[in-house]
Order: sequence, then structure tokens, then C-alpha cells
Amino acid sequence: MAGAVLAVIAPFANLVGYFYRKEEEVSKRQKLANLKDLSPGSYIFFSYPQTGDPKIDNDPFRQYVLIMTHDGHLRVYSRVCVHLWCLPSYIPSRGALICPCHGSIYRDTDGVAVDGPAAYQQYPTNALPMGVIEVDQNGDIWMVGVEGRLGYGREWQRVKPDDLVRRVT
Amino acid sequence: MASDSRNIRELLNNLWKWTVDRLERTTIVVYKFTVPKQYISPYGYLGTLTAIVFAILGVSGAFLMFYYRPDVELAFLSVKEIQEKVPFGFILRNVHYHASNLMVLLAILHLYYQYFSGRYKIKNEVLWVTGIILGILTILEAYTGYNLIMNQRALLAVNIGMGLTYSAPILGPTIAPIFMGGGLFDLVVRFYALHVFILPLLMLLLAAVHFPRALIIDFPVISVIVGVIFISAGLFPAELGIKFDLTRGLVEVPEWYLTAIYAFLRTGTERFTAGALLPLLFVIMFLIVPFVDRSRKLSWKDRPFFTALGVASIVLVTVTTVWGFYVDFSKETAFDQLYIEPTLFYGSIAGMTIASFYATYVYLSRQVRGARPPPTKPIVLKPQSATTIMVVLLVFIAAAAAATFYTYFINLPNHSMFYLGIAFFLFGLLLHVYRHSIYTQERQATQREQQAVRTAT
Ligand code: FES
Repeated sequence: MAGAVLAVIAPFANLVGYFYRKEEEVSKRQKLANLKDLSPGSYIFFSYPQTGDPKIDNDPFRQYVLIMTHDGHLRVYSRVCVHLWCLPSYIPSRGALICPCHGSIYRDTDGVAVDGPAAYQQYPTNALPMGVIEVDQNGDIWMVGVEGRLGYGREWQRVKPDDLVRRVT
Repeated sequence: MASDSRNIRELLNNLWKWTVDRLERTTIVVYKFTVPKQYISPYGYLGTLTAIVFAILGVSGAFLMFYYRPDVELAFLSVKEIQEKVPFGFILRNVHYHASNLMVLLAILHLYYQYFSGRYKIKNEVLWVTGIILGILTILEAYTGYNLIMNQRALLAVNIGMGLTYSAPILGPTIAPIFMGGGLFDLVVRFYALHVFILPLLMLLLAAVHFPRALIIDFPVISVIVGVIFISAGLFPAELGIKFDLTRGLVEVPEWYLTAIYAFLRTGTERFTAGALLPLLFVIMFLIVPFVDRSRKLSWKDRPFFTALGVASIVLVTVTTVWGFYVDFSKETAFDQLYIEPTLFYGSIAGMTIASFYATYVYLSRQVRGARPPPTKPIVLKPQSATTIMVVLLVFIAAAAAATFYTYFINLPNHSMFYLGIAFFLFGLLLHVYRHSIYTQERQATQREQQAVRTAT
């Protein structure tokens, strides 16, 4: 009896899923670049997850930057400032992302705000969300997910940035 | 000729009777509409006025939907188009905007009047609780509405709202993406759905429970209310603002009914505590008051504790709202300009709230209730003077109407709205004078009759 009821209900269990944009999309594997294209201090802007619809792809909440820091670490950051959602750009010479609106400065090593209004916000709302990336044996870099909440922050003391860069073979 | 008009009147009477008989089958007869024969204080029916303004919002909003486009990039442009190009669009948008402000204001006044006169007692608990929920929905409706413009101010409000939702413990991270979707492009559409359908529907359903059965429809006051909407629209035309731009930092302050929350956030207090828990305490206080205040007394004078609580809450809201508007332009960066020193902030609100509570409480408990003040004599208008006043008012109304048309045609729509407001306002006065003179005359007639009877006996 209970089994029958369950069998009827089960397919509808995830009705609330309607309210979220498809989950798979956000954990989609998307190729960003190859290691050959990058050198320390270089960066690439891109949107994720890409849909091919310019309206959606241009949305600020889908803007990310792939950075190779000066000491050769790969990092992907959401470009939505956790203060008031402006779009910071990357300044390689300073090793930081700088927001044009109120001047928040984020370290490129871990995306934590070190100056400006975002730096005064409480943990975990003082760091940029990060992209989870995989590097395969061909040197291709893939984005596979997002760590943190866009436009809000990231629990950077719990997950180390290096754990978000995975080597796959 | 005479029989003709009698026939027509008979026909109309029959038609009316026929309709009323059929309406017996509907719910409309559940409500008892009263059109007062003389002036009564509008405090008693502020709720009905709120509902009427809600109806105005529904109509103007429905027309705005013809041009508004719920899209990240196009939303602002479409509002700009409504404002600048669409015939009468400027007026419609202003009516919608100012009516929304007025609705929030009327709802607050309604709340406090009912609070101070103890109306949440005497079996009115359900009305009271639904009213509080309606109030919250009204604020949410206004909030989603002004975000649809997608200007800088809207983005600030969305940012604050999403930050608050995200910071809610446990459920926050699950709920926020429901509004946010895949980005701003989803957010606009979802807020639009909430604003034009989901929230108003909830409000209508709740209103069906909240409406008392006796409704007072007072045309002079309604006319004045409409006048006030147009006059304020004429004096303070709704601004378009600047299209949201994620590369420019601007100092913006939210709408007046949200600045109190904004003030809390700007002190750097933990987001959820500041923006949600503290306001929630406020709401809870109002929700439970009927179940705590069990005395049989209704008047504010006899309930010093609850009156003091009400006064203190007004002071609290006022002080925080004023703080919310405070911007220190002597500072260099936008961030420093908006920062509020927490000790100063909490100190000032605590001090003023406690002081006002204490003062009210002590004042009321010391007060000895004297005899009722003698009733004030009604103003009696002689038929001639009533006619003169009405003629003068009519002349002014005609002038205001002419000015309305003239300013509209020389393309000064805000002046036009102002004059139209004046016309409505004066029309309300005219109705009032008319009603008053008829009423006093009737009363004098009955008095005279009574006197005649008395002298005869
Ligand atoms: S939005 Fe980036 S610093 Fe304010």
C-alpha cells in the first residue's frame, strides 16, 4: 500500500524544481581555454553556463573571469561584486580585481576582499564566489560548477581555493 | 408628457428591482454599503479608502502593462517610453506611483487608528491578523513594483532584498534562487509575475476575509483622495532615475517605507538580524497584541501600557526612517557617506523610544478622566450661503478643469495633473457642502415639526 502511494507520488516529488533554473545547467561542463593560451598575469572573461542566447549569456550573474595568477595558479571568479553587484575587472599589475563602483579590492589568489566596502562585510559575504574547474591531460580547462552564492559571498574559510582546481586524468 | 416620464420611471424602478432580486443570489449582498448622509470622521473607514486606492492601482497598473516590457535591458526603456512618448503614459505612471505611496500611507494610518482605538478586541482578532498580513503584502507589492523599473534605485533594492533572503538561516540559500533564477533576466520576469498577479491575488483573497461586512463609501472623501493623488503627482512627478549601470557607483536611498530597514543595514549590523529579525519583532508585536491586551477597555486613554507601546513604535519607525535618509556628503567615498555609526544609531533610537514610552505611560496613568467635553455645535449653513459657496466652488472647479486641459495641450503634464487634483479636491468639498446643507436643512425641518407638535400640545 505504502509502496503504491510512493510510486504515485515519486515522479512529482521534485515539483519545486520548477522554480529553479535547471540544476544540470549550473553543473554543466564548459570548456574555457587551454593552458597554452594562458601565461602568468593573463585573464579571460567568459559567461557560464553558456546557452547561446545572448540575452541570457550577457547577464551579469553569468559573468566570470579566468585568471592565471603571477605564481601560476588558476582561478575563476564570479564578476559580481558582493557589495552592490557592480562588475569588477582584473588588474594584473596589482594582482587584484577592482570594482569600479566603490572601489572594493579582491585578492586574485583567493577572491577575498582586502579593501573597500566589501572588505567590511561579514564573513562569508566578503569574498567573490569561485568557479570549480578541471584541467585534463591535454591542458584543457573546464568549468564544472560554482562555489558560493552569486552576488552574496563564499565560505572561503571552509573550502580552500586550490581544492576548486582539479586535475583529471 | 407627464405620463411618459412616469412610465420611464416605472420601467427604471422595475429594472432596478429585477437586478437587485437577482443579485440576492450573489455574494455582493453580503456587504452592506453605506453612503453616509453627513460627514463622519474618515479614520473609521481608512481601510475602505485603502481598498479604493488599491482599485485605482489595479486599473492604472493594468494599463501600464500594455507598454511595460519585463526584460532586463528593455524594462527601463519601456518605462521611459511610457513616461515620455505614450499619450497619457506620464499621467498613468504617476497615478500608479503616487497611489502606491498613498496606499502604504493609508494602510499605516489605518493600522494605528485601529490600534489606538482598541479595535483589535471585540471579536475582531481575525480582521486584525489578516490586516497585518495584508500590510506586509502591501509593502512587498510596492517593493516588487518599484524594482520593475530596473534603474539604479531598483537594483539597490533588489540587492538588499536578495542579500537578506540569502542570509536567512537554513532556508535562505534555497529560497533566494527562486526569485533570482539564472540571473537578472529571470529576476525581472519573476518579480513581474509576483507584482501583477501573485501578490495582488493573495491580497484580494485575504481582503475577502479582512473586509468587515459594513462598508462606508463616502464620495466626498474619495474625491479628495483622488485629488490628493493627482496633486502630489503634479508637485512631485515620479522620477525615472538612471538605468542600472554596473560600472557606476551612485548614492541612492530606497523608497521611504523601506529606509528604516536600510538604516539598520547601514550600521554594519549582521544583515539578517538588522534587516529581517528586527522588523519581524515589530510585526510580531502587532500580531500578538490582541491576545495579550485582554482588558475590556477600548479607548487609548484607558490603556496606558499599550498606548505607550504604540507611541513608542511610531517614534521608533520615524527615527529609523529619518536615519535611513541621512547621507553624510562631507565624506569622500559613497561607502563612507552611507555609513551610520552604530552606537549613535542604536543609542538614539533606544533613547527616544524608551523616553517616549515612559512619557506616554506616565502621562496617561496620572491622568484623571474628567467629564466629557460638551459636543461641538454643528455648523448650520443657510441655504443661500450654501448655494453661494457651491457656486464659488463650481467656478473654481471650472477654472481648474480649464487649466488642466490648457496645460495638457501646451505639454506640461505635471501641471495638468496638479490642476486635475485641485478639481477633484474641490469637487469633494462641493459634495460635502451640498450634503451638509441638505442634512442640516432636514434636521431643522424635523426640529421645527417637533416644536410645532410641542406647542400644539
Ligand atoms: S559594488 Fe563593488 S564596491 Fe560597491
